[in-house]
Amino acid sequence: MARLTLERVSFWYPAMGRPALRDVSLAAAPGEVIALVGNVGAGASTLLLVAADLAPRVVGGKIEGRVNFRGRGKGEGGRGIVLPTPWTQLSGMAFTVWDEVAFGPANLGWPRERIAGAVDRSLAALDIGALAARDPATLSGGELQRVVIAGIIAMEPALLLLDEPTAELDPEGAGLVWRLVRALAGDGCSIVVATSDLDALPEVADRVVWMEDGVVRRIGAPALLAEESVCEAGLATTVADVWRTARLGAPYPLTVAQAERRWRQ
Amino acid sequence: MAAVNAELRFEHVSFSYGTVPALRDVSFSLAPGERAALLGRNGAGKSTVLRLVTGLVHPAEGTVSVGDWDTRGRAPESLARRVGSVFQHADQQLFARSLRDDVAFGPRALGLAAAEIARRVDTALAALELTAHAAEHPYDLPPAFRKLAALAGALALEPAVLVLDEPTAGLDRPLRARVARALADSAAAGVVVLVATHDLAFAAEVLERSLVLDRGRVAWDAPLAALLTSSERLAPLGLAPPAGAALSAALDLPGRPVRERDVAHALARVAAARGPV
Repeated sequence: MARLTLERVSFWYPAMGRPALRDVSLAAAPGEVIALVGNVGAGASTLLLVAADLAPRVVGGKIEGRVNFRGRGKGEGGRGIVLPTPWTQLSGMAFTVWDEVAFGPANLGWPRERIAGAVDRSLAALDIGALAARDPATLSGGELQRVVIAGIIAMEPALLLLDEPTAELDPEGAGLVWRLVRALAGDGCSIVVATSDLDALPEVADRVVWMEDGVVRRIGAPALLAEESVCEAGLATTVADVWRTARLGAPYPLTVAQAERRWRQ
Repeated sequence: MAAVNAELRFEHVSFSYGTVPALRDVSFSLAPGERAALLGRNGAGKSTVLRLVTGLVHPAEGTVSVGDWDTRGRAPESLARRVGSVFQHADQQLFARSLRDDVAFGPRALGLAAAEIARRVDTALAALELTAHAAEHPYDLPPAFRKLAALAGALALEPAVLVLDEPTAGLDRPLRARVARALADSAAAGVVVLVATHDLAFAAEVLERSLVLDRGRVAWDAPLAALLTSSERLAPLGLAPPAGAALSAALDLPGRPVRERDVAHALARVAAARGPV
């Protein structure tokens, strides 16, 4: 049974004539990682807001079609979203990183010990235990991004929605977040992530959704990121793109490892 | 484009936030037209270097100078005559009613004549291919376009030094290419370009020199290509090679190119020499 289902969803932001999403259908199963790729304005961020029940409920606008989310029940983590602007996502109610990460679980009404356990596990998962006593207002961009992600996963969401979760992170931090995404999926969490880090996706995503102008163009395995039409749209992995520019013939390898195998043959 | 050409120079600069040291004994200088990447882990001190250049903070020890100007004793608005900057969350710092007005804010604040303001704004908007959006309200555009607009605003100052913090975060490939072209053009006109970034693929395309900070010290200062082709050098600095450079190294391409186009050309040449792949 799918955890999240979008059936023929169209969405208009307030006062906008053109829909930001048009007739989008998508289902996310438990344990599945779905990556949304597209150029600026494609609709990936909007799809996440709709899936999070923030659009139109909070941002306004108009929706058509059906969105269905099946959580784990009252008092359990439901849908969590990490926005691309982590500095807008702090509670503003916490003087330490530990309290900031505890804010979500506390609002689920969990017993104190369960909250403490969830916070400590989340801080460890993001490798920010050393920041626990810091004032969130003093963090760097990358540190803040990790804290916001920790605050969301501490609620043990059944559906995790991530918008450019590695944009502020150094390569070590980005690698850690991508490994965490796979680990959470291994525990049954459904994950939908919008990202421009295309080179990470062959190892992270189960399926890739190519969006353009609010429409889903294609859904497929990560191998999609080496197809001709995706290359033309500027959404291929770097290796596929370089292989194509060198006119070495399709199918293009997706990753450095695949290119190496082809080259040695 | 630059009204004046000037060197950017750090001499034995140290800086702390309260008791937390951010930079220790940092020295480097960038000549007019040099394009440098400022690299390192989150928290290594990159943003602090940029804040020092713009005069938002001043060194506890040592000197930061832009040409013959010591930044100490100069407020950011005075330094803005020589330094243009775009900070990490630039898409949040627009406030005017149209993109055009936003880009004009800096030149207006410099007290330039209306015709000169108009010329600079037109040039900056054109450099980032934003002319068609000039009349639009910034918040009707996606954040990525607002980021480009903030860069246009910095270009319109026609600075001697341009400092950018993560200019490509959230940008897609076509928009990254626009930023790359605009930076290359600025450098060609003699502007010092210093970019703090984690996006090594972008750095490889545009930047030539690399300054890597590690816990507040300069751990590496040399050509970027030499850094990107060496995993042994990258790993201890918390960096990983971008896919193009990794491919170049994995296939042992001649000359170890790092720019994606150069990698593709080298690949095509070698493939042609050895028959079908």
